Amino acid sequence: MIVVWNQDVGKIGSDVAGYLNKKLRGRELAEIRPEGFFSLGGVSVEDDVAQFPESKFYLCREKSLVIFNSDIPRYNWYEFLGLVLDIAEKYCKVKAIYTIGGMVSPGAHTTPRVLLSVVNSTAMKKILSHHDIVSDMDYETRGDQRPTFSSFLLWVANRRNIAGASLWVPVPFYLLAVEDPQALKKVIEFFNGHLGLNISFTDIDEEMARQGKEIAQMRSKFPELDGYISSLESNLGLTVDESEKLARGVEEWLRRRC
Amino acid sequence: MCYTYQVSPWDSKGKAAMGVRLYKEPKLDNPVMIACWPGIGNIGVIAVDILRRTMAAEELGEIEPWDFFYPRKVVIRAGELTDLEFPSNKFYFKKTGEKDVLVFIGEEQPNDGTKVYAEGTKAYKMANLVLDVALRFGCRRVYTSGAAVAPIHHTARSRVWVVPNREDLIDEVKSYENTVLMSDIEDREGQGSITGLNGLLLGAAKKRGLEAICVMGEIPIYIHGFPIPYPKGSKAVLEVLSAALGIEVSMDEINALVQQSESDIESVYERLPVEIKEQLDKLKYVTYAKPSEPEPITEEDKKKILREIDRLFKKEPGGD
Repeated sequence: MIVVWNQDVGKIGSDVAGYLNKKLRGRELAEIRPEGFFSLGGVSVEDDVAQFPESKFYLCREKSLVIFNSDIPRYNWYEFLGLVLDIAEKYCKVKAIYTIGGMVSPGAHTTPRVLLSVVNSTAMKKILSHHDIVSDMDYETRGDQRPTFSSFLLWVANRRNIAGASLWVPVPFYLLAVEDPQALKKVIEFFNGHLGLNISFTDIDEEMARQGKEIAQMRSKFPELDGYISSLESNLGLTVDESEKLARGVEEWLRRRC
Repeated sequence: MCYTYQVSPWDSKGKAAMGVRLYKEPKLDNPVMIACWPGIGNIGVIAVDILRRTMAAEELGEIEPWDFFYPRKVVIRAGELTDLEFPSNKFYFKKTGEKDVLVFIGEEQPNDGTKVYAEGTKAYKMANLVLDVALRFGCRRVYTSGAAVAPIHHTARSRVWVVPNREDLIDEVKSYENTVLMSDIEDREGQGSITGLNGLLLGAAKKRGLEAICVMGEIPIYIHGFPIPYPKGSKAVLEVLSAALGIEVSMDEINALVQQSESDIESVYERLPVEIKEQLDKLKYVTYAKPSEPEPITEEDKKKILREIDRLFKKEPGGD
């Protein structure tokens, strides 16, 4: 089962889920009702449209793949995760769980994307060792933060002897508001190889080329923004002001061209 | 003939813990539903109720209230309890010959006793009962209505903030006259929230495959905290709804309410300390929608005015 959360940096998880559901003809299988897990005191509005929490399971039957796409609940997290695993284990006979998340990267878009993993067992670590993944991360939550919901899910899965891994892909900060097809491809490539999905990447490759061309045009038109990206490519940092200008400039340029 | 039709959003076999009572079952053609609960300034309820009466909509049924509300009145005669009254939650309908209309008006929003607006399981169940009726009669679209708290002056014409529950409705709602999207409001960037059932219904409708649009009439930031209606906001909503539905509505009643309300507000306004009135008068020149021309006051002035208003009234702008 692949698990993605809607509140994800760069919306990588949602993009992966949407892409796989489209390519593999995923069908809605089940959902978790929102009562008890989400606030029902109204609705939020994003990009002019009312939003409502959703927690849905999709089945890609031909590839024996289940995708769970959900908003992160606000209440009763352990109970929620228990329900997710109940459906995974008892109805779908899932053998392993993979979560996907984006990380904010200070690097340039021209830097090749990497995949990082956090696993919940040595068995899973061994399974992933055959792949090109950075898997030796050391991390402890700082006092002012809390663990990700994916970490919570992995821990609960481990208690039920379900192997799990969190996969993380860095997204350049100035692409967070638009899309990062390179990050999307990195994740899809992993699943394609690991799960034998036989997906062709022509469409993602075309999108990568298109975006690369757009950004190159932007760089030739705006020397200041070009300078910022060049600094990042040389592993030099930017000030907060410069970073904001770059992010705004890229978003305006790419959205205008859409 | 009157019968109780048990509807449950959770059980396809019709077993229900909470029910809907229908008095009749007319055949309706392509109906839309307008649903409304009380909120700030009663903006939505006033508009929808005038629409209902103008159309001479007939009573259709009601949601049985006892699972949602505490009774508000008891009638005892000669030592005998003869009646117990609850807030009403009624459905109405009107066949117009083109697009038939269903109306739902709730007198109160269910709550857990501590919050002003409906929250949690009961509110969600009520929203789904309303949608059960909408679907039963073939509705594909629902309108809700409420208030949008805005940094405007009470002498200004209220605009209507519109929020659909689907992206493909944005072009349509943009075409309604005198409306703004969240992204048209400065510093909002298309984000916001709609509290209570007038918002929750949008989400529940989306979940059940129905289109839904919330139309919110503006109410001045310095008035919204007072428990008084704001008919000017209601008038703006009524104009949008009647145009969207293609129903002609006489504005006489709402204009009379607006006139009375303006007179009441002015008489209080004139008695305010000069310092406060001077600050509020500056709102006549504040535009918070994205400008298309140079504005008469600077950005810095605008921020200062809004900070002063906040300090004076300790309120925040927002949608309801």
